Amino acid sequence: MASKPSLSPKKIRIAAFLAVMGPGLIAGLSDNDPAGITTYSVLGAEYGYQLLWVLVASMLALIVLHDLAARIGVVTRQGMIGLIRQKYGARSGTLSAGALILANVGTMTAEFAGIAAAGQLFGFSKYITVPVAAIAVSFLVLRNTFSTVEKVFFIISAGFIAYIIAGFMAGPDWGAAARGVLIPTIPFTQEAIFIATATIGTTLAPWGLAFIQSYAVDKRLTKDDLKLLRVDVWTGSLLTGVIGFFVVVTCAATLNKQGIQINDAADAARALEPLAGSMAKELFAIGLIGAALLAASILPLSTAYSVSDLTGRPAALDDSPKEAPLFYLTFGLITGISAVLILIPGAPLITILVVTQILNAILLLPLLIYMYGIAKDERLMGEFVATRTMKTIYLIIIAVVGTAISCMLWFTIN
Amino acid sequence: MKKPPVKSINTVAKRLVGRSELALQRKNIRESLVSVAGLIGRPVKYQGGNEIGRLVDVVVRHGEDSYPPVSGLIVKVGQSKSFIDGARIAKLTQNEIQLSSAKVDLTEFIRREGESLLDADVLDHQIVDVNGLRVVRSSDLYLAPLDREIRVVGVDISFKAFIRRIFPGALGRGPIPEHVIDWSNVASLAHGSGVVRSTQSRAALGQLRPADLADLIEDLAGRERNALIEMLDPDLAADALEEMEDDELQGLLRGLSAQRSAELISRMEPDEGAEVLRDLDDDHRESIFMEMDVSVSRQLRKLVEFDETLAGGIMTSHMLITHEADTVASALALLVEHRSRDISDGVVVVDAKGKLLDHIQIIELIAAKPSATLSSLMGPPYPTSVNLNTRLDEVIDEFANNRGSSIIVVDEKNKPVGRILADDLVDALASTSDTQGFAQGSGAL
Repeated sequence: MASKPSLSPKKIRIAAFLAVMGPGLIAGLSDNDPAGITTYSVLGAEYGYQLLWVLVASMLALIVLHDLAARIGVVTRQGMIGLIRQKYGARSGTLSAGALILANVGTMTAEFAGIAAAGQLFGFSKYITVPVAAIAVSFLVLRNTFSTVEKVFFIISAGFIAYIIAGFMAGPDWGAAARGVLIPTIPFTQEAIFIATATIGTTLAPWGLAFIQSYAVDKRLTKDDLKLLRVDVWTGSLLTGVIGFFVVVTCAATLNKQGIQINDAADAARALEPLAGSMAKELFAIGLIGAALLAASILPLSTAYSVSDLTGRPAALDDSPKEAPLFYLTFGLITGISAVLILIPGAPLITILVVTQILNAILLLPLLIYMYGIAKDERLMGEFVATRTMKTIYLIIIAVVGTAISCMLWFTIN
Repeated sequence: MKKPPVKSINTVAKRLVGRSELALQRKNIRESLVSVAGLIGRPVKYQGGNEIGRLVDVVVRHGEDSYPPVSGLIVKVGQSKSFIDGARIAKLTQNEIQLSSAKVDLTEFIRREGESLLDADVLDHQIVDVNGLRVVRSSDLYLAPLDREIRVVGVDISFKAFIRRIFPGALGRGPIPEHVIDWSNVASLAHGSGVVRSTQSRAALGQLRPADLADLIEDLAGRERNALIEMLDPDLAADALEEMEDDELQGLLRGLSAQRSAELISRMEPDEGAEVLRDLDDDHRESIFMEMDVSVSRQLRKLVEFDETLAGGIMTSHMLITHEADTVASALALLVEHRSRDISDGVVVVDAKGKLLDHIQIIELIAAKPSATLSSLMGPPYPTSVNLNTRLDEVIDEFANNRGSSIIVVDEKNKPVGRILADDLVDALASTSDTQGFAQGSGAL
């Protein structure tokens, strides 16, 4: 390929990157789902610029962990759940997969809730928006080839630009924002610690980690691609952080300044209207729809990869339903159950969302420990086994996440 | 991915591996299966019934046997893990293992060449389902007494067996015989240091089409992938390698020893081999050349140097060269001798100085008298020839104009150095259009 005369070396480098690009960008951005945007909005509305550093710390952890998950996928050619089964046995594998499936159904319900809320901002009933979104997402992922699906994901991700525009429109205090990023302070209150840990929790989602690994396997990336993949992971995680930053900044510059309290991202959008101009509401809503659609496409996909992986019959997006029935069945069930949950009048939505958040938090810790075990297993990772420095970094992240999760669980239960 | 097998795996397997008797077909063996997954954690006892410790793993030895025998046990005694020789086992049931003596030497376990640990290396690891043509995970393994030893006789790849294992107690241990596949029908890629050599599974792998095999290789990673390559007949492996994606192949060669790489590349078609070598970095390529026969490496070195958009870069150097004074009989004998290569459509005729005269089709040779000289058969239509530095598009024009099935490539002295067959051209075009599609695709993003 390198000697084709029609392409200059520079173009080849760009083309090679574009071919590898995807896992880091898509998995990273999908972590900014409606639950994430809600958390960032509340963080900004309640604490202004003060807790921006928490977002930066989460982003750094996201870079490290997504890099690791993608590398494990490329080197072992196996998904996370399959590897857990292989290394830690049948019970660990089944338990992880079971928890992941439950948490993913809950998270998927949250994505549909985001779509319903954003649709209502434009005056559409959830009985229209949710079924349309469910069908659109299933059609997109199941009826198209891998490369088409990937391109549509990139296009949906462009919706996130809305938040950046809204951020600039809000006219934030950049000096205060810089201080919030660089100087880590936190009011030692229950609410502050809760929102800080929730920020870490929504950024480092278990399904995101499982997804980036399966996606790297399905994309058939090779060890040669690892360098470019690292660029992709960094880009994706940095963008995720930047978007989160603008959401916080928008809310800090408007809602926090005026002392307005909000409960979710749709509240934030409504509250923004009189403060940052009429377009701010629409921009926030568009961003929310994009966020929800991207995550709603990826959650059932991630679950389907994991289930196929557990059964030992790895499936790929390009397989037909006949070749991979389990893969398609899982996708359909996750999407269907979540859509129904959101549409049933009187379904205990708040309970579902809270339980999901707890489940995701509980699941994250063992998952990170398993990943750590895999990363230092030379028989699995070969020359890409974790160095001593990286092992230390992983352990620090595990300790911080562990502490944060324990705090959050403690506050949730009390 | 491939479709799941329609016929029962055992019937297909029997057809693949021939008439030899499968252990699982014997009733007494089917009834005495012991699940390895269920056995782990069970007590290991002395002859008198005193417990030594709990079973951690079962060590098997891979040899020429289709069913690897148990060579030892790893037992957790107190806080440490000890090795007990397999010869000490008196009785092995699903619930416990009894030794034949009241006292044994407990030694530290050291991995030996050609041994593997059933729990740590095989259970839940990937194996190749030869009949389903895909990579699956083993859900359970089964031991049974056979030929005076306890051996691995079966493997279960069903999800049912996997789910069974998460249940506690005896419920989690019973085998489901209808799902058990005879061990000789799977290609297990797990191994400690040596390679699993089951002659029958190797024979079964030999029945696969190279393209299917290439898919299987691409589905695997690292150790398993190399194990599969080692297991294959080199000619078959070389055919499969030709079917692999370029970047997959690059990665694969980096994992193999230079010696094995050299062996495989030597068996590939020269133009395919050269294409692979061309993409490697200089040191790696040189190390592979060093391991090759001098004649092969000399030929490949020449091919590697050609630009792959020029005739020299896409041609194959395989062709049969004859002299105008040779007889028809000797030309035919030469063709028969090289019949395994895809070049048996005719011979290239050169003069005393080695310059190209003609290409004679096999049909003309068959129709001629065996004692006739080749020069008597020469005449129009003469073959199309191009120079080593002819550009790809001009080669295509020549093909289109002449409607021939091949073109002869000559050097500056008009000596034939290779041929371009229609399929070489298809390969060359496919790799160009890949690049174009690629560039367009990325433009759309």
